[in-house]
Amino acid sequence: MVDLVQNTIDGLMIGSSYGLLALGFTLIFGVMRRLNLSYGPSVMIGGYLGTVVYLQFGAGPLVVAAAVVVGAAVAGIYVERLCFAPMKAGAAIASMVSSFAIWMQLEQAAILVLPRHTYPFPPLATGAPLELGPFSIRIDHLVMLCSALGLAAAVQLVLYRTRFGLALRAIIGNPVAAHLVGIDVGAAMPLAFAGASAVGGVAGFLVLAVDQQVTPMFGMWVTLKGLIAMMIGGLGSVPGAVLGGLLLGVIEAQSQWYFGPQIRDLVAYFVLFAVLAIRPRGLVGGTFDASMPQKA
Amino acid sequence: MDDYTIGVLSNIGVVSFVALSAYLLLLTGEISFGQQAFFAIGAYAAGIATALWGWPLAPALAWGAVSAGCAAVLVGLPTLRLHGLYFAIATLAFAEMVRILFELFRYQVEIDGEPVGPDGTEGFRNIRYIFDHNIDAVQFLLLIYALLAAALLGFVLLERSRTGVAFRMIGEDETLAGLQGISVARHKVLAAGIAGALAGVGGGLYAHLTTYVEPRIFDVMLGVHSLAYGLIGGLGTAFGPLLGVLIDIGLLESIRVLAGYRMIIFGGIVALLLIVRPRGLLDERTVHGIGDLWRRTRPRRRQPGPGP
Repeated sequence: MVDLVQNTIDGLMIGSSYGLLALGFTLIFGVMRRLNLSYGPSVMIGGYLGTVVYLQFGAGPLVVAAAVVVGAAVAGIYVERLCFAPMKAGAAIASMVSSFAIWMQLEQAAILVLPRHTYPFPPLATGAPLELGPFSIRIDHLVMLCSALGLAAAVQLVLYRTRFGLALRAIIGNPVAAHLVGIDVGAAMPLAFAGASAVGGVAGFLVLAVDQQVTPMFGMWVTLKGLIAMMIGGLGSVPGAVLGGLLLGVIEAQSQWYFGPQIRDLVAYFVLFAVLAIRPRGLVGGTFDASMPQKA
Repeated sequence: MDDYTIGVLSNIGVVSFVALSAYLLLLTGEISFGQQAFFAIGAYAAGIATALWGWPLAPALAWGAVSAGCAAVLVGLPTLRLHGLYFAIATLAFAEMVRILFELFRYQVEIDGEPVGPDGTEGFRNIRYIFDHNIDAVQFLLLIYALLAAALLGFVLLERSRTGVAFRMIGEDETLAGLQGISVARHKVLAAGIAGALAGVGGGLYAHLTTYVEPRIFDVMLGVHSLAYGLIGGLGTAFGPLLGVLIDIGLLESIRVLAGYRMIIFGGIVALLLIVRPRGLLDERTVHGIGDLWRRTRPRRRQPGPGP
């Protein structure tokens, strides 16, 4: 019983970062209606920039965090300009494959700059874990949870309490109608892309700081975890993304504890498959239809 | 031909099967990130048949294709009503489950005093059929291309058949195709089954070509690459995915000077190409244009029926 509760606590902590990754993903998908496979690699580029800043200048966590977010946002804009902005309306598959090609490019670029397989990443917070009776909570996990939930709440506020958020929701609802009522869709898209990548960057920073290392495989990890959490929770809603992330975190923590890492991944993919087959809109149910337009 | 060229050509031929598999689903309008799963099932099934059960190669390859095709039909049914991103992610989840199951899969038989067979993450070694039967690399290369040619012939015939037209109609607009009296569900499951079997043949060939398979070869990267080949080469004809494979493996892997920058150049070229040609080099328009040109340059013949 103690194990079960402890696993749940750990899962919620890690899951909060999954939720943040899913949040960035769902924003991009909502605005673009296209899958950005380079989402994770953009975050990975941010992580590499953070590591360079850390190794070269010995920068503290806040500066490194800023570097990760800026790196992810800049890489995100690069992807948007190359794979999304110039594509004709409807060429959704072309955008997706193009973002995959850029994934390969970003990964290779990272390896060229830092050729070793792993590099150290500065820790978030050191210190003895909090003891609550039989349970313990790592300080860096706690920072992760609070930052993730805080940022998710901030994104929700921006979406529902600002003019920019209103414009974004209008575009998510119907880009043509949004354009007709005078919203500058062309300008909002790169901004949304950069913002979503930056949200991913924060999540990436939190995960890397807990792991204290960065590898070129981090891009794939982010894309996969973000996708799974997003689809389990349901596309197109902030609470859905967060809930999907937390749920994925708990599922992974429990199955890892009881059955080991292979079964953990198997269970995660099985839950994803089952949710899609039984309830495609996800547990919370998104606000928009995600069938990508097919014709080029 | 030197060994290196034979190796590259064999690889191109084998990977083409997965690319064709993903292409067939693209024709029906679905994006699959999971065709590598059927490649894996074909590889393991055919490998087990020759190495453990002592079957000849031909029935082993057929068995690989049938196993992969059946698995594809089984996945096709629950994912039938999924579209777009939902279908893509469901196939991804399935393929990753298959990969992990192969990581857990152990089935070994003592042969000549040593254990042979799949051994979890260690993989499946000693699929020695082509050595034991003195099939040299060139002969196996010919076998790969003979089967590939048969698959392409199948595609050419398919494109001219009612079923092929139905596939493309479903890809254009599923609802409309249904209203025209096409059984959408049956055609989609059929397409999934054929696509799975195609990937299975490729997998069986791959296992015997390399004599060794391990689960991590069949990861998402292989699946997304197979999908990308069709988009790069073009969606107008089955030769499109082949062209995509040729450009990636043939051109770029062979030019060793580019090592280290290969993906930077390749990624950039593909991204730019897709801006200009969102449905690939040999897209429908180009293929029809070539067809028209071909018909016009042929000696004139009086044809019955209305003219243009």
